[in-house]
Amino acid sequence: MSPKRAPGSAESTEGAGRPARKPAAGPLVGQTVGRFEVEKAWLVDPVLGREGPGEVVVTDGILESVVWLKGAEAAGVDDKGVVVAPGFFDLHAHFREPGFEDAETIASGSAAAAHGGYTSVALMPNTSPVLDEPGVMERIRSAARAGGSPVQILAFGAVSAGRTGEQLSAMGELADAGVLGFSDDGAPVRTPKLLRSALLYAGMFGLPVVDHAEDLELSAGAEAHEGYVASVLGLAGWPIAGEVNAVSRDLAVLEDVLPDEPRARLHLTHVSTAAALALVRRAKAAGLPVTCDVTPHHLALADEWIAGARRWSWEALGADGTSRDPWADGVLVATPYDTALRVNPPLRSPIDAAACLAALLDGTADAVATDHAPHTVVDKEVEFGRASNGISGIETALGVLLAMVDVGRLPLARAIAALTAGPAGIVARWPGVAATPAARPRGLIEGAPADLVVFDRADRWRVTPEALRSKGKNSPLLGRELSGRVLLTMASGRLAYEDPEATSTEG
Amino acid sequence: MSGEGSGEGSTAGGAAVAWNHRHLIDLDVVTWPEIELILRTTDEMKGVLARPIRKVPALNGRRVTTLFYEASTRTRVSFETAARNLSADVVSVATATSSVTKGESLVDTIRTLEALGAEILVMRHSVSGAPYLAAGIFGGHVLNGGDGWHAHPTQALLDLYTMREHLPGGDLRGRKVAIVGDVLHSRVARSNIWSLTAAGADLWLCGPATLLRGFDRWAAAWSGGAIVGHGRFNVTSDVSAALREADVVMALRIQRERMQGGLLPSLREYAARFGLTAERLTLAKPEAIVMHPGPMNEGVEIAPDVAVSGRAVITEQVANGVAVRMALLYLLAGSHEAAHAGEAIR
Repeated sequence: MSPKRAPGSAESTEGAGRPARKPAAGPLVGQTVGRFEVEKAWLVDPVLGREGPGEVVVTDGILESVVWLKGAEAAGVDDKGVVVAPGFFDLHAHFREPGFEDAETIASGSAAAAHGGYTSVALMPNTSPVLDEPGVMERIRSAARAGGSPVQILAFGAVSAGRTGEQLSAMGELADAGVLGFSDDGAPVRTPKLLRSALLYAGMFGLPVVDHAEDLELSAGAEAHEGYVASVLGLAGWPIAGEVNAVSRDLAVLEDVLPDEPRARLHLTHVSTAAALALVRRAKAAGLPVTCDVTPHHLALADEWIAGARRWSWEALGADGTSRDPWADGVLVATPYDTALRVNPPLRSPIDAAACLAALLDGTADAVATDHAPHTVVDKEVEFGRASNGISGIETALGVLLAMVDVGRLPLARAIAALTAGPAGIVARWPGVAATPAARPRGLIEGAPADLVVFDRADRWRVTPEALRSKGKNSPLLGRELSGRVLLTMASGRLAYEDPEATSTEG
Repeated sequence: MSGEGSGEGSTAGGAAVAWNHRHLIDLDVVTWPEIELILRTTDEMKGVLARPIRKVPALNGRRVTTLFYEASTRTRVSFETAARNLSADVVSVATATSSVTKGESLVDTIRTLEALGAEILVMRHSVSGAPYLAAGIFGGHVLNGGDGWHAHPTQALLDLYTMREHLPGGDLRGRKVAIVGDVLHSRVARSNIWSLTAAGADLWLCGPATLLRGFDRWAAAWSGGAIVGHGRFNVTSDVSAALREADVVMALRIQRERMQGGLLPSLREYAARFGLTAERLTLAKPEAIVMHPGPMNEGVEIAPDVAVSGRAVITEQVANGVAVRMALLYLLAGSHEAAHAGEAIR
């Protein structure tokens, strides 16, 4: 193979680091990968905390060898081209099955996940019926098996029966059925009293309670982040205090139950404001067992997108750290009120987006979770204030993070860790409790079933409805180019996704 | 898209400006020379309205459809009168009797109206931004008759036109305009911010703090002259500061549901502290005019004697509304759609 690869060119597929191409037809999705090699790529292993030039060989689904190259062998290999990393783990996704199969199914969601580089996905329980008893978990497992994708489908059970916020769900039975924890996502755990019970009860199983932090009174009727953009556009505001209030409630209740149940754990998902992240940072420093995640869209987009701006959040930040004015800057290029941008929590200010990134960098945020929320056209092609909340984001998460890596705001290794070991650590059970499969370390481990993603940072792809495998085309990034085309995703030794233009594996 | 300096060339210049907006949804994208074109066209339409037979064939055979998702008498009648004065064929869709009550979506409704021949769609909707959704799928022209809290451009233009009729030289530069009331929920206030800061007026927005939330930040963002073609404006809860030496005072409607929302203690308290009374208006200039976009709550935001006083120009606003809407229908009907294909709707 040639040692040089033309960066960024579509003709680069023959270059070093690209998976070795074989003329024979490769395996189909779901089949065990017989033979697969990547020569001279950039390897990232978040478990070892190591990255560098290397090569991997997969034989019969097993990661047979991981070789770290040194000296002359490593010449010409950098982190700007082909990258091999452990398969990603999404802690927060909605695959809508059972109940809303017109928006997404386990099968279409799994295909989307694999296209995004994910090999494990944790689904939220706001399906119909709600995942509040083990029968629904069985239904999800059965759909996953029938779909044939090797992407591992995991799930959170509901905190409350029917997600009504009144009584606890069948938490013990759900724990036995293998849920990763409990959440009433889509809504917060309704009352502090219910949260207290949930933390105590889930603590018995060493499982976390995952809260969507929102004070429903302060956010009632809200259409967008309360701030300058919402004022100008005449949209009802979702104030920062609505998230801060909920996070402080959650932390107070957590602190209160710990003496009774030291295994109680709280995870805050899609935290979106600088002020709430500051509270989490302080709680972590005080030793509270709390974790949190941030989403790609809260990192990279800001509320000004609703007015028609299309620049990244860091480009909307002034030199003094304040938000720039999209009207003054003359950057309003798109039609305003695009419902693909309606999401809960809402896209915040560029300052909040910067705080999400700072939290990711200093470890306040343990993971990036997509909150992949596909919706049908019927639910999105309506007035902004009537559109369903949610962004279809599992296929664009990597590209969005790489946009931050490309401009030097996020180290590649930190981005990968936030997609792999970070989320795995959040749902790792306490010692003495049987580990869930998702709790496996997510490193490049020789001798283990190959669970990895290969992507090319120099290869850009355009986000189009056709390119997205998800049924949900509600992406605000449609039409935009992202770097880091995923070439191949392999889950537990089986082929999950392969770029249609590459034929690199043997059956 | 950048305008000239605030209020520049208020009578001269801009004669060569052509109208090239396919839709009119908000004034944020309309430059001052374009506003002046609208106002000049309005002058001509007022001339039509002064004739014994108030009808010209300008839009003969063109089809104007009004689609109102909110109850409205004056705005809908004003648009329909304007369209008929231009000899357009008018179809009026009242949502209470349409398929909307059967759950038909806005998108489907608009596709249906287009299939039935609608060319210019005048739309009133309770959700901010709804006309952009309509414009995205409609093959003709969308003219916003008010959307949510967002924009009411024809109201702001008729306000501007009326103010200019009463100010010496028709020039708003440096003239103090006070808008008092429920600014937070007001599309009239928002559109007036765009037009009056373009006109160079000394604009003051006033109301209880609960009904001004967010506008301080907006005013601060514009305070340094950041927006090309638009000046700064002031926000205050001190009604005396707002009214002092004002040339124009405009009251906004206070809705009863603001009490249930916990934003106001009572209408009585509002009237006592913010209502436009004759006594309070002594702070304004003696020749100051009093405006209201209607419908009025007399005795709440405006005292009955003020509403019918010689300084009130409220019925003039209504009359000018027809002329302004005639001007906009005329300009939109003449704009060329092909030039806009594939562009973002702004």
